Amino acid sequence: MEVSRYLCSYLISFLLFLFHSETACHPLGKRPCRMQAFRIWDVNQKTFYLRNNQLVAGYLQGPNTKLEEKIDVVPVEPHFVFLGIHGGKLCLSCVKSGDEMKLQLDAVNITDLRKNSEQDKRFTFIRSDSGPTTSFESAACPGWFLCTALEADQPVGLTNTPKAAVKVTKFYFQQDQ
Amino acid sequence: MPLRLRGLGPEVSPSCVLLKFWGAMAIWSMLTVGVSAFVIQPEEHTVAAGNCHFRGKHPQTRLKVEGEPVAMRCPQVPYWDSASAGVNVTWRRNDSTTIPGEEKTRVWVQDGALWIVPALQGDSGTYICTVRNASYCDEMSVELGVFEKTEASLSLMSYPQIIPMSTSGLLVCPDLSEFIHNKTDVKIQWYKESVPLDQGGEKFLSVRGTRLLVNNVSVEDAGYYTCAMTFAHGGRSYNITRNIKLRIKKKEEETIPVIISPRQTISASLGSRLTIPCKVFLGAGIPTTTVLWWMANNTHIDDAYQGGRVTEGQRQEYSENNENYIEVPLIFERVIREDLHTDFKCVVINTMSFQTLRTTVKEAASFSWGIALAPLALIILVLGGIWIHRRCKRRTGKTYGLIELKTGHQDS
Repeated sequence: MEVSRYLCSYLISFLLFLFHSETACHPLGKRPCRMQAFRIWDVNQKTFYLRNNQLVAGYLQGPNTKLEEKIDVVPVEPHFVFLGIHGGKLCLSCVKSGDEMKLQLDAVNITDLRKNSEQDKRFTFIRSDSGPTTSFESAACPGWFLCTALEADQPVGLTNTPKAAVKVTKFYFQQDQ
Repeated sequence: MPLRLRGLGPEVSPSCVLLKFWGAMAIWSMLTVGVSAFVIQPEEHTVAAGNCHFRGKHPQTRLKVEGEPVAMRCPQVPYWDSASAGVNVTWRRNDSTTIPGEEKTRVWVQDGALWIVPALQGDSGTYICTVRNASYCDEMSVELGVFEKTEASLSLMSYPQIIPMSTSGLLVCPDLSEFIHNKTDVKIQWYKESVPLDQGGEKFLSVRGTRLLVNNVSVEDAGYYTCAMTFAHGGRSYNITRNIKLRIKKKEEETIPVIISPRQTISASLGSRLTIPCKVFLGAGIPTTTVLWWMANNTHIDDAYQGGRVTEGQRQEYSENNENYIEVPLIFERVIREDLHTDFKCVVINTMSFQTLRTTVKEAASFSWGIALAPLALIILVLGGIWIHRRCKRRTGKTYGLIELKTGHQDS
């Protein structure tokens, strides 16, 4: 009796060991392991939210703080990252429009983006840290940085004059805990 | 639920504190319901309203204190366009009351913005802004909530702001642009928990109007701040206040990760199950900012093995002797010949470093182990069989089967 009970529990724990570790990291076959959520706010304390499907930065009070968009990050190389929102379902990209570069939100899955793909280059940003703040330069549009306007509730965009006083390119960027 | 309780409040308990609490809860629940209701609404909601394109509700509800001036910009007009020629901006309440375009009343429209000086609780509600020119027309609605000035309502209306620990950062007095527009000298007084701050000192410094520089922040700097300015209208002076809840965030410490395992080659026999852990040493660094994954011939494991024969296991974070480690195993359901020619790589990235470690699978001299283990297994089987036969004669068949299973596993 005891022997069979012992063997039975051994078999169960062995089977649990076999199948436990494989399911936990791959719910629905996704790769959440490489994606991390970060909180982003500019040095003027503006946070990101969506207004008519456009990413804007502003001051969210009280119950509006629910609207805050966190940034989903998939690192590609050191300092090279893909940036997305909404669980990585909408990705930030740089698109050329005339002489200007435009920030666009594309409905692609951040974990489907590939590092060496020429097509996916527009989604790549170069992250540089200086002291407590971080800046993001588009890899496809060199010299263009992610920015917010000084005024509240204006679209998040790209600027090629990061030193100019009318745009904010320095962000606090911290892992969401 | 809180609404019902609020109604019961005076009968059950006449305590003033309790009443205030339930009141705050009711405000909170109303607002939460309000916010979630329009979050669920589709953003691209378009309704033809007298040939005008309705662009939906602005996602933010504006929350203001009773007695203070309110100015709301039309959300679909960029601020620099609001006074531009050829665009006609009008406002109305959703009960169709059109707001006059002159300054003689308490509520008026000026340069495309809606002004209410001073705001009353009855002004709470939905306002619709219409922008029209010769070729187009669009509308957007904005929700306004005006509340009595109580401690509960102030904390509810507060703006959260964060400065990382041990750095110098800015506090910003928000939503003042309409009031300070065209003004060069804006005087803003800052308070922390109602105590006026010395804004020219070493700790706090007033910067360009609406901002306050806080030097070398520490945990003690967290808390509620108020910024206030005065606004003159119609021969009267009004206070405009904003409440800010400052949080101090501990800076995450990062270290350069070191991959300490796997070895360069791993021995495994064909057909067997194999787990290769990739173990990363972080020392005092926090694990959350470090990302770790496996690749096979420079392809992600999920893409390379869509059938799932080889998978990445669960990430584990743990500490040994106050030093942090992360581990992600690579799991082979069964090793096949192809794996011997595959370049497996563990990749680790954080903001300070990027590292990889290659490993290859080598075929183990598995047959010799098999030969060595086979007689041993046979002996265990026979001895076990005899022992069980002796101990419980009636159940021999069943127990023997299980013994066989166990040794069968040892064999492989």
